[in-house]
Amino acid sequence: MSDDKDETQQRLKAAIHFTVGRLCQMTGKDNRRGFSRQAVAAIAETAFRQCDVFAKDLEAFARHAKRSTVNSEDVKLIARRSTALSIHIQKKTEELNQGKKSTGKRKSRDTEEESKE
Amino acid sequence: MANPYAERQVSHSGVNMAEKNEDIGFKKDTVNKLLSSFFKEDKTRLSGDAALLVAEILKVFVREAAVRSQKQAASEDCDQVDIEHFEKILPQLLMDF
Repeated sequence: MSDDKDETQQRLKAAIHFTVGRLCQMTGKDNRRGFSRQAVAAIAETAFRQCDVFAKDLEAFARHAKRSTVNSEDVKLIARRSTALSIHIQKKTEELNQGKKSTGKRKSRDTEEESKE
Repeated sequence: MANPYAERQVSHSGVNMAEKNEDIGFKKDTVNKLLSSFFKEDKTRLSGDAALLVAEILKVFVREAAVRSQKQAASEDCDQVDIEHFEKILPQLLMDF
């Protein structure tokens, strides 16, 4: 049974690693400085571990609010340390809510609100 | 064997298709499974919106890590971003998040 859990974790790590690799590639694109394989692996591993921190915090926040389902309010708390990040997440939340109210996705709103940090 | 959690495959022809920045990111399902595996209690669930927001935070985290590492490499006049550049910026990155 623990083997299954390990296998799942390995697959998740692999998925994370893949996306991290692509994001690094995108970042390095304009700069012509590539990322070494070790660097990408280290960033991926750190992102993976950061999820553990996020998960524990989110669970604690939800439990504190006497809920068993983590919602967007809990996630906003995760982003509280950085003002810029909080604002970014707040915008995303509003985008998601707007998307729900209208019948379809508002593509124009997406391109207008996607601000780079 | 296909990895069900892998992000969608891209062609490795080397041609950089004009992908929008917004296209690359963590999948909602991956984030969900990932966070769920770290929850201490079985009954804890993640709402759909929450998963999307966490995916966004993760994307910002990785981008920050990449950009800061790159700047570190640049300040040291290095051609490639190596693990030591990442290690140097890691403490501040973790504190900022």
